[in-house]
Amino acid sequence: MTPRETLENWQRAGRKVVHEADAKDLLQRIGVPVPQRDPAHGRCVAKLCHDDYPHKSDHGLVRLGLSPDEAKQAAADMAERFAGGTALIEEMEEGSVAEWIIGCKRDDTFGPIVLAGPGGILVELIDAAEIRLAPATPQSAEAMVRSGPGARLLGGLRGAEPADKDALADLISRISVFFSENADLISEIEINPVMVRADGKGLVAADALIVLSPEADEQENFT
Amino acid sequence: MPEPNTNQMAAGRPTVAEALDGLFNPRTIAVVGASRTKGKLGQAVMALLKSNGYSGTIIPVNPSGGEIEGLAAVRSLEEIDSPIDVVVLATPVGVALGALEACTRLDVRVVVGVTSGFSEAGEEGHENEERLRRIMQDAPFRLVGPNCEGVVRPASDLQLTFSPMFNDLHPGPVAMISQSGALAGLMALRLGERGVGINAIVSSGNETDLTAADLLDYLGNDPQTRVVLCYVEELRDGRRFAEAAQRLTKAGKHVVAVKGGRSRAGSRAVQSHTGAMAGDNRVISAVFRETGVIRARESVAAVDAVTALAAGRRPAGNRVGIISVTGGLGVEMTDLAESAGFEIPVLDETTQTALSRYVPFYGSVTNPVDLTGVVLANPTYVGRCLEAIAADPGVDIAIAIITFVPDQQFIEGMAEAYDSTDKPILIVWTGSARSNASGEALRERAVPVYDSPARAASGLAALAATTGEVT
Repeated sequence: MTPRETLENWQRAGRKVVHEADAKDLLQRIGVPVPQRDPAHGRCVAKLCHDDYPHKSDHGLVRLGLSPDEAKQAAADMAERFAGGTALIEEMEEGSVAEWIIGCKRDDTFGPIVLAGPGGILVELIDAAEIRLAPATPQSAEAMVRSGPGARLLGGLRGAEPADKDALADLISRISVFFSENADLISEIEINPVMVRADGKGLVAADALIVLSPEADEQENFT
Repeated sequence: MPEPNTNQMAAGRPTVAEALDGLFNPRTIAVVGASRTKGKLGQAVMALLKSNGYSGTIIPVNPSGGEIEGLAAVRSLEEIDSPIDVVVLATPVGVALGALEACTRLDVRVVVGVTSGFSEAGEEGHENEERLRRIMQDAPFRLVGPNCEGVVRPASDLQLTFSPMFNDLHPGPVAMISQSGALAGLMALRLGERGVGINAIVSSGNETDLTAADLLDYLGNDPQTRVVLCYVEELRDGRRFAEAAQRLTKAGKHVVAVKGGRSRAGSRAVQSHTGAMAGDNRVISAVFRETGVIRARESVAAVDAVTALAAGRRPAGNRVGIISVTGGLGVEMTDLAESAGFEIPVLDETTQTALSRYVPFYGSVTNPVDLTGVVLANPTYVGRCLEAIAADPGVDIAIAIITFVPDQQFIEGMAEAYDSTDKPILIVWTGSARSNASGEALRERAVPVYDSPARAASGLAALAATTGEVT
């Protein structure tokens, strides 16, 4: 099944918000690095993913810094409280130097756009995000990681290690192309945060969300 | 839902280029609603067409016939058996829709709908709007408007509007597209006062058929156009507008745009941070910046930016040399220029020596140069000082600040200084109304002249950055 067929199936099934576990499965297929699932060693994060609860931490559905056994137990507990959820246990990313957000949406005036900027709790610094028309060319994505206040953060503030800008630009471009090609099916796509490692060491998508467009006949009813 | 794309319907419909070629160089214009009664739109349209010297064929259309503005009127469009390049609708909405239907059976290239009473009129205009859309679906012609103030093309002596705000413009490098006729009028008048030449002005109104993007693409492709000034409230085909703008700016032309009002509220609830972070206004600024469009805060700042760009001189860098007949204005100009990212460099020694011949000991020959009021004693001094500072190898843009001018020679000297260099020169003239001198020599060269340092700063910002916001 192609990624597009997966999106069509989800849409047909009436899904609006696609939860993290499914979104990551799809993104991995288009080349987005995601954390290792169900690791046998190391520190883990346990989450319960559910289309109805996209903001997991608001509902206590994220547990960090667990051993693999603790993570299994935590996931089982959460699944009991929220029926219909999908448990997700992943290796915890601890080598990153910057957290970024990459998002795409259809703008009412200009159509598909892509946004990238400081992520995690820094998303509240709204003026720091760069916005371009999607799909963003590799040059345009490159400019997005080298412009604005975010560029200084990626460059390493006060002696911090510089982040892998090339990997980040590549991901911005890749997501924006995927979104533009499927903008009839997806209304928003967001990876937040992307854990960006030091220069040359790549990155990993720590959380992701896909919002589907309503089916065409439903859209008619909207207006 | 997107609007139906009327651009790709109806066989036999002229392309945008065919329609606008006809619109800007028409051989025959029919004015529906032509009238002898003062105060009627059709009377004003006829009078302005005639008084501005349009030399093609004008056919007044009025059901009672007779003679209007010295021309024999036909009783209906059907009486015209030759091809008609442009039909102007200047009647109440009911009559206009009837005439529009008649146009579908005639050989008409483009219709300009001055008439109001459509989508802009809310509930009451709804039925008219529906009927308009039905007619336009298969119409073999194109439509500007409706609800617009018309079209102006000085090179063709074409004044297709009821508004006198567009009188006395001369041909030149600026094209204007405005969804508001009144703002087009304001901007045209201000540009005209500065001597800035106009290639074409289109008040695009409701944009039922031809949109700002169509017009931007067409006018931008015109070799006569150097700058396109746009006032838009809702970009119906924003993507095409952005792409057309990018083509222009990549070709070295400029687009200055004012975005008025708020866009339609998003129809979906926002689910993600992206939705919240990429609000309408931020997206507009970002897309304009990406495509090289200079975004102006409001119409006067836009005019000030366009004035500087229309002169067609590009600065080699961001170093500004300032001469002023008063210390205070020089300081204010310096503050504004520096806060906009410009440098006010130390002047070359040769320049300082040249200036010291005119500046008394209590003035200053360091940048900003305070010439003091003494220079007013000799009407040629300011011009010579401007020439000297513009010739400085370390100066990319020269600004001259004057207040009241006691003598005509003063202005002639500044015009000569403007001619002596290829560098951009901006003039701040705070007291032209209190001067014994005409600014004609500056106007005929379209020298950018501003009445305050802040307005000159808008021009300065536009000059340096073909991207970014003009504040």
